[in-house]
Amino acid sequence: MAAGLPSRSGFAQSLETLGQMSIEELGNVEITSVSKRPEALADAPAAVYVLDHDQIMRSGATSIPEMLRLVPNLQVAQISPSSYVVTARGFSGNYADQSFSNKILVLIDGRSVYTPLYSGVYWDAQDVLPDDIDRIEVISGPGATLWGANAVNGVINIITRNSSATEGGLLEIGGGNQEMSTALRYGGQLSDDASYRVYAKAFSMAPFDTPGSGNAHDGWSKPQGGFRVDWKPDSDLVTFQGDMYTGAEEEGQNPDQLISGGNLEARWNHPLDDGSNLQLLAYYDQTRRSSSEGGGSFVLRTYDLELEHSFTVADWNKIVWGVGERVNAYRIAGAYSPENSLVFEPAERTLNLANLFIEDAMTLASRLQLTAGLKLEDDPYSGVAPMPSLRVSWKPFDEMLLWAAASRAIRAPTPFDVDVVETFWGSPYILGKPNFHPEDLDAFELGYRQQIMSGLSLSLSGFENVYDDLRNIVGGPGGSPPYRWGNGMRGDVYGVEAWAAWQVTGWWQLNAGLTVQHEALGFKQGARTLAGIAQAGDDPHHQASLRSSMNLGQDLTVDADLRYVGVLPDPKVPDYAELNLRFGWKITDRIELAVSGLNLLHDKHLEYTDPPSDLVKRSFFIDTRWKF
Amino acid sequence: MAAEISAHARKWGPAVIALALGVAALAAATLSQAFAGEGDTLALEVKATYLIKLPPFITWPGDAFPSSVSPFTLCVVGQDPFGDLLDKALAGKRLIDRPVAVLRIDTAAQDSPCQVMYVAAGPQPAVKSLQAVAGRPVLTVTDSAVDGAKGIVNFILRDNHVRLEIDQAGAIRNRLEISSKLLSVAASVTPK
Repeated sequence: MAAGLPSRSGFAQSLETLGQMSIEELGNVEITSVSKRPEALADAPAAVYVLDHDQIMRSGATSIPEMLRLVPNLQVAQISPSSYVVTARGFSGNYADQSFSNKILVLIDGRSVYTPLYSGVYWDAQDVLPDDIDRIEVISGPGATLWGANAVNGVINIITRNSSATEGGLLEIGGGNQEMSTALRYGGQLSDDASYRVYAKAFSMAPFDTPGSGNAHDGWSKPQGGFRVDWKPDSDLVTFQGDMYTGAEEEGQNPDQLISGGNLEARWNHPLDDGSNLQLLAYYDQTRRSSSEGGGSFVLRTYDLELEHSFTVADWNKIVWGVGERVNAYRIAGAYSPENSLVFEPAERTLNLANLFIEDAMTLASRLQLTAGLKLEDDPYSGVAPMPSLRVSWKPFDEMLLWAAASRAIRAPTPFDVDVVETFWGSPYILGKPNFHPEDLDAFELGYRQQIMSGLSLSLSGFENVYDDLRNIVGGPGGSPPYRWGNGMRGDVYGVEAWAAWQVTGWWQLNAGLTVQHEALGFKQGARTLAGIAQAGDDPHHQASLRSSMNLGQDLTVDADLRYVGVLPDPKVPDYAELNLRFGWKITDRIELAVSGLNLLHDKHLEYTDPPSDLVKRSFFIDTRWKF
Repeated sequence: MAAEISAHARKWGPAVIALALGVAALAAATLSQAFAGEGDTLALEVKATYLIKLPPFITWPGDAFPSSVSPFTLCVVGQDPFGDLLDKALAGKRLIDRPVAVLRIDTAAQDSPCQVMYVAAGPQPAVKSLQAVAGRPVLTVTDSAVDGAKGIVNFILRDNHVRLEIDQAGAIRNRLEISSKLLSVAASVTPK
């Protein structure tokens, strides 16, 4: 077993934390990995950061994007109470040029939640009860070979806890100047080898202000409920889970936006007698979005089936291979105002996305590993794309890992690239490109992780991302609308991601993170283009974070998160620093009280391009939890 | 393709140079400080925590302790893999209302004063240690069937988690009662 986990997770799961766990929770502590095969995280040849349950709870974050602010290799910007941009290694998009962040794969328990309509993520539709999350693994850089579609700039993998870890009842009630929320969960044993939990939660968030300091009318509310059942007959593991939600969002002067959806998932893990392992995953997901005054709607249904088999050959080859098929069926209807609408033509399609992958992790010498993988993905618009990767890792001694990787990933065409018809003031504004090429990435990475001494660990990753065929907006004849998409942009993004965790004393831990990146994008020779390179993204050159976590005695925790985000260049958004503070008090074994303040340094601040961004407000929140 | 890569390599710029320098400096600094890291792994921490969490789920017979004030003794037989983890985790703690002692021994004997005996690889084959305390009120614990032998509790790595295998027949032989709660969380239970 390898030493020295690279991320803070190694420390958060310190003896002290473990000592507070129940015997069931101990059995649920994940001690390995990101890769699809069990492997110590310390050995994973990728830029991986793991946010564990304890960190998530102590941050006081109530939504997934707020949790992701704790991840040093992600960039998070809030646009409104319900809307965020989350990226890794740049490409946050640019609203004025109809370019939206679209290069991240997000999975919740293996269920892909990026939308196939434009490859971005509707963060308002994704929610998990924070206490149900076991950990969030974030890989910056391509993970296309193993994780597949859309894992171009990064993979966010949200993993919930086994239901045997959440027995009993939990009632949570919280309130503050920006948010009111409540959650109820109950779990127990169904039989000797099966457990369950059910939950319901709801929140309401108050609106932000517009930069002109008026009410932005962008508040929202959303109830959600769900369940999970885990059954372990013999050495198998079988999980069923599902969620349902419905939400209403104010949209400034426009009619409210309504969202709703649900999902059902089944996973079966079956160890075979020969020591190999078989896993089957199937899910159904439905999501809807519409205007409260009718029109402007879409409904998307996703059916997914994945099979994965891992085995060992001749002791030194660990092989995992798999096949998957995903069917996305959607229907989109014109906007509430035919003057300004965004539709796809055809308005209904069924997209088939199939993949086949194999990866072999070869132990060449006791401290040297070579991992070679290939994924073939058949996407509905551009056909079969090969996505190879080659990773090498070397442990000069137990506490240090050096790794290097070269890999290819694509951002496959979507209906938004190919079929879109956007109308402004009654005339066509943007039209899709029928033969849109996949956006292509060749990524070269170099990394270093070390447990420098007991209690101090460091991770450094450098990357050079070489993009081609990036989407740009092309003027019509004479430069006037209708505009069309092109594949005219290319170039490099390079940078460094660093983070460190330091257990200063038994009761005090510090975490620091820094990313620096430089975008050198340009247009291909002869490419026609309308907007400049800023259309790819409005990304900070650097950002930094510092977090302090203190245990003051048995019952009191104090956490502070300071973050700094550099200037967004074009359109310009000033740099900012913000601070979150949280005091947690365990009044009895069953009752906990927490007081948190978010974005304390400014009354309000801007995080992303305006319009349409609103100013993020300082907020306070008091949370009470009762376990029964 | 190769030409392309080398062209890119030239452009790797200050970021990568900084990274390389950082790596070199840190590697040098670390190597020079005569590394003596224990390499505490999460798995070991979880196992150590299990050892401390198990006793409340076990009922020992009256003769398991020499007297009512005897400490609860946790023995590690053979090469202790835990380093100072057990001592750290136990600092200031009591187990089933007794002060705790950690005893590290090379070989187990019938009269070893242990209530929990973690059997690691060592000079004596693990199976010998387990046999030595068969019938004695000792909870034997092993990791991944050390040398092919399993204690009453055996740690296994399953699906990235450290889980427990429990031998109920072994527990009865050693006159221990295991709570149904513990049996319910076990990955597998060998019946009576």
